[in-house]
Amino acid sequence: MPIAAAQNLSNNDQQTDFFHRYCGDCHGETDPKAETSLLHFPHSASTEKDWDKVVRALTKLQSGSMPPLDYPQPLPKEREAAVNQLRLKLRNELGSDSNKTLTPNSRRLSNFEYENTIQDLLGIDLHLAKHLPEDPSKPYRFNQTPDFLRMTGERLQRYQENARRALDAVIVDPTPPKIHQARREWIPEKNPRELAIEGNKRGSPADGLSIKTWPTHGTYRVRIKASGKFPEGTTDFPLRLVMGYSLASDIGAAPFTTVGTVYLKKSDDHSQVYEFFGRIENHPSEPERQYRRGGTRTGNLVTIPEAMVITPQNLFDDGTLNDRLDLATRPTAVIDWIDFESPWSETWPPPHHQRILFDSPMQNKDSASYARQVIETFLGRAFRRPVRKEEIDRYVRIHEIHHLETDNFEEAIRKTLAAALSSSNFLYHINSKDVSFQQFQIANRLSYFLWGSMPDEPLFEIATAGQLNDPKVIESQVRRMLADPKSRRFIDQLSRQWLGLDKCISIPIHTKRFPRFLHLVSRGQHAGDEVPFRPTIRDAMVEETIAYVGELIDSNQTCFSLIDSDFAMLNERLASHYGITDVRGHQIRRVQLTPKSSLGGLMTHGSILTGNSTGSVPHPVYRAVWLREAILGDEVRDPPADVPSLEENPTDKKDQTLTFAERLNLHRTKTSCRECHAWLDPWGLAFEQYDAIGRFQPMVPPMNTRIRGYDPKKDETLSDYTKYLTQISTVKVSASSTLPDGTVINSLEDLKAYLLTKKSNQVATSVVRRLLSYALGRDLNAHDYLTIESLVEKSKSNGYRLQDLIVSICQSPVFLNQAQ
Amino acid sequence: MKQKSWHLNRRELLRGAGAAISLPLLESMCWSNTAAPTLPKRMMVSYFSYGAYMPEAKSGVPDQRLADQPHPDWSWWPCKNPGPLSFNESSSPFEPLKHYVSYLQGLDHAGGWKLGGHSSGDVFATGADMTGLDKTNNISIDQVAARLNGHQTRYPSLVLGTEGGTGSYGRCKTLSHLGPGRPIPSLNKPREIFDRLFRPYDGQDKTSVQQNLKNQTSLLDLVLEESRGLQNRLGAADQRKLDEYLQSVREVEGRVARSSRWIDRELPSVDASTLNLEVTEEDPENFLRCMYDLIFLALQTDTTRYATFMLESEQSGASELQNYAHYLFGYSGNTHDISHKRPDDISGRWDQWRAKQHAYFLKRLRDTPEADGNMLDRTVVLWGSAHPHQAHNTRNYPIQLAGGNQLGFQHGHLHQFIGDRKVPLANLFLSMLHSVGIPVDQFADSTGEMSEIFQP
Repeated sequence: MPIAAAQNLSNNDQQTDFFHRYCGDCHGETDPKAETSLLHFPHSASTEKDWDKVVRALTKLQSGSMPPLDYPQPLPKEREAAVNQLRLKLRNELGSDSNKTLTPNSRRLSNFEYENTIQDLLGIDLHLAKHLPEDPSKPYRFNQTPDFLRMTGERLQRYQENARRALDAVIVDPTPPKIHQARREWIPEKNPRELAIEGNKRGSPADGLSIKTWPTHGTYRVRIKASGKFPEGTTDFPLRLVMGYSLASDIGAAPFTTVGTVYLKKSDDHSQVYEFFGRIENHPSEPERQYRRGGTRTGNLVTIPEAMVITPQNLFDDGTLNDRLDLATRPTAVIDWIDFESPWSETWPPPHHQRILFDSPMQNKDSASYARQVIETFLGRAFRRPVRKEEIDRYVRIHEIHHLETDNFEEAIRKTLAAALSSSNFLYHINSKDVSFQQFQIANRLSYFLWGSMPDEPLFEIATAGQLNDPKVIESQVRRMLADPKSRRFIDQLSRQWLGLDKCISIPIHTKRFPRFLHLVSRGQHAGDEVPFRPTIRDAMVEETIAYVGELIDSNQTCFSLIDSDFAMLNERLASHYGITDVRGHQIRRVQLTPKSSLGGLMTHGSILTGNSTGSVPHPVYRAVWLREAILGDEVRDPPADVPSLEENPTDKKDQTLTFAERLNLHRTKTSCRECHAWLDPWGLAFEQYDAIGRFQPMVPPMNTRIRGYDPKKDETLSDYTKYLTQISTVKVSASSTLPDGTVINSLEDLKAYLLTKKSNQVATSVVRRLLSYALGRDLNAHDYLTIESLVEKSKSNGYRLQDLIVSICQSPVFLNQAQ
Repeated sequence: MKQKSWHLNRRELLRGAGAAISLPLLESMCWSNTAAPTLPKRMMVSYFSYGAYMPEAKSGVPDQRLADQPHPDWSWWPCKNPGPLSFNESSSPFEPLKHYVSYLQGLDHAGGWKLGGHSSGDVFATGADMTGLDKTNNISIDQVAARLNGHQTRYPSLVLGTEGGTGSYGRCKTLSHLGPGRPIPSLNKPREIFDRLFRPYDGQDKTSVQQNLKNQTSLLDLVLEESRGLQNRLGAADQRKLDEYLQSVREVEGRVARSSRWIDRELPSVDASTLNLEVTEEDPENFLRCMYDLIFLALQTDTTRYATFMLESEQSGASELQNYAHYLFGYSGNTHDISHKRPDDISGRWDQWRAKQHAYFLKRLRDTPEADGNMLDRTVVLWGSAHPHQAHNTRNYPIQLAGGNQLGFQHGHLHQFIGDRKVPLANLFLSMLHSVGIPVDQFADSTGEMSEIFQP
């Protein structure tokens, strides 16, 4: 069609002219910025990389971030024409079938998926990912992409070892094993039975129950009989049991893992028995050790045998712990006894064994056919799809090899199934061209997206019935799956990676400035006397954010609730940190906010603000990077090589940290820094009224004030130090800033309002992109542009609601791997 | 109380002759495949992150404007002028090792020049140019050696890191790479490393180990067959992804074959109780020392001859490592902050602390006699970072070379490779490879040997 072609050409010429005029200055032939020359744009697009550039240019034009304000601006009409032409070009020349591109869709399971899959496949709560090399990660990106998830010999060997561990655990020997038991009682006349937060005496329940013998494998049952004592004003507290090294003597490095937590409530005034179940393999034991009595060279050699200790912990924390209040105002647990039994099962062999080695008439008659049955059933679940005859044959052959050399049927089966668990069919998501697998691939995509694990029986059944092409069926499955507790794995993983939450836990907190932010100290104690092994406020902050994302999805809120909302997910501890007084209790729940609270939306979360501070002061650059990456969906480039350091600056001394914003200002006037920081700092400055640990703090001490740290000699209580800080804080913090488009804002509230009005499309697009990338398990590319656009449109039509968006993603052709 | 890496008294016991190891070294030498017992030539590469404090040489080479100033007490570089070494505060831990160390100024990998400010650590041991389209790394120096000579020991190489795993592009947590796109995950758990090195059979008797190995071989065959069957059902890109799996299977096969060859050789008996293998990164000094001890033991027992050790990666922001300066000196920032702010009171002490740990390792080698010298004489140890003083500068690395005095190296000097004398860091790598008997013609962008550091 010569006419259309001619028209295209002239359009292209117009565009080239547009890019020449408005972009050519920086994106010219020689040494173009961002290594992108736009002079012959977009004629030149032919490779994947070129197309990525087309999409990037398109995005920047749409959002108005290019050309920069201090350059000539195109008329809105011109801009629109250029945008439309680019979109047309994408649609006509590239199409949106991104699954056809050269990037692979097959990849191995991530460690997270691997552990979940093993647990769901075998029905036992075994932690196996800890034996694998860690997966790579990159802040704000999801790591379950083919690029990140590579295989090496080392890793494969670990999978083989893990497979053995898993099978040893799940298939038991026919004869019931020896049962290991232990029990300890605290008798009122003899020992203290009360378990306080700290300061517990020897012989109290804080010593825990020491276990001397236990099986190599097995489920355990731990029971505790306990009640709580609640002084006025307290309502509940978590009683946690942990098992591993003894916590009585060490202060921080002793490994242990959690057995379980129960919330003791005021209404529970009678002591009750609480039961916990877990796998013995998950807990570290303290190896045998020897020491000389009295610590001298000649003292008697004492041997302490290998042991595991179950320790109960009173995790009460209402946020006032560090104010040296009397222990009498805190609740205590009263513990009657703790007991332990392993292996524990109501039946023998246990259900997880019977699930694999099920009852069958063949079992005793014809062991070869029985083995075949067992193998076939297991492979179907492990490979998460129908199994071919030749595959079954292959594993039957493996079984024969093993059965020949050992007479033990169970052992031969263990070895055979272990081979299946190190096979690529188990370890990989395989994007097969085989049409008979298509339904199962969809089922797998759904379950790995929403559960981080394999499909369950109902999903397999629907796939077998071939119903997963029906959008209605997909919708009902998605909603069912999100309502299942397994979806919490997805929420957790999504939030942590998308929002970069792990930084919050590892940032070094300035302990003088924020005394006891991380550790509790009560009356009469000094700094350093920390009560170890307790979750800190930072853990609660991360929980808060995950619970918030979960709540948004569960109650189908709009994606703009990420920016602002009238509720928060808090418990007493968090509320106290944020200065909200009327929240009681330790479980995180939905709390209605008042405008006065200065809370609402992710940007006010302690996890985000703390993780993106220096630990002593706010860090506008970190916070800006977070905002642009996580919320606006920009890709902020790494700092380049050869940038001069800031230390030439005369005010750069570590105690004068308050001048950070001023220093940044200086930073932006230096040409070498300006180029990147002009796009960063303005966003970050809006967060300045929130301090390094995420509290709203509009007043600070004047510049160059030397702030003394907490000093127990001067400060009787923590509130004394707080008073001192309030008293010297006489200057209003400025959170004013001029955003790249020239808008002036004066607070985080202003920034939120700006994002909700001026950047709503960008925010919605960013949310779509993140969820889509997570769902597909790969980075997005130029081919996905139109998919994203139509998902954003669809999302707009149903009010940008998040759960609906997840449904739309799962119904989209790219997710279903269909040609469009 | 935190436990020490070495329990009381045992440190004394182990110091010097390595008394905890019951097997005499010569006997262990007889394991080697060569008929006549030749002494091993060993190599170790270790990396510290975020550069070092050198106020007189912020770009990594001396600032001529400061030429008339005395050399600062606190600078990673021990002294000012090329020639015989004298030591300042930062480098003082190496003073007792004066005749075993050289400092080299002005060296770097051109491949790292254009990488992001923190990505050049990826190529420290490879010298690869990663700015190309593929962005894949290349083979690292230890693996070049291991490929050729690795069969002589139970393990071809030992790859350690404090953070573990491979990390991702631009954020490697390992120094070792088998080739493009094939980083080797580093090990970071002392207990696990110990067991892998010295208890590979997990208490099983020889027959059952042999049986297991035999089974494993036949299983691997079946697994290979299975995966090959899969290949023709996949698109080209997906096939390539599955090729990674096949490669890994072959790698494991290699390991199995190797284990079969080594099964008859007795394992060195190393007493685990002398190490605190449960030490974690929350106890920085003992954690690092325990890792260094494990490398030492692996070399001493000739379990391997090539090791790499990523002391801290360029992305330690998510790990406990970034808090080391906080634990040690109460510094309010993380280790990355030090590289940007270069606080006068902390930076030097931080470097000195890192030097102390490395010197501890070198001393253990030096204090262990071997033939007519000591272990350090026959172990060449590289220690450096991919940044100088300025945080994101990727030129003129701080580089220290130690040991290998009987492999041809001559130490005790500061060398400058600046101006006309500038040469690629890969030249040093080439010389290191030659010194341990690896006859390669080139490594990365090398242009020749580095004759300056060899004995005349």
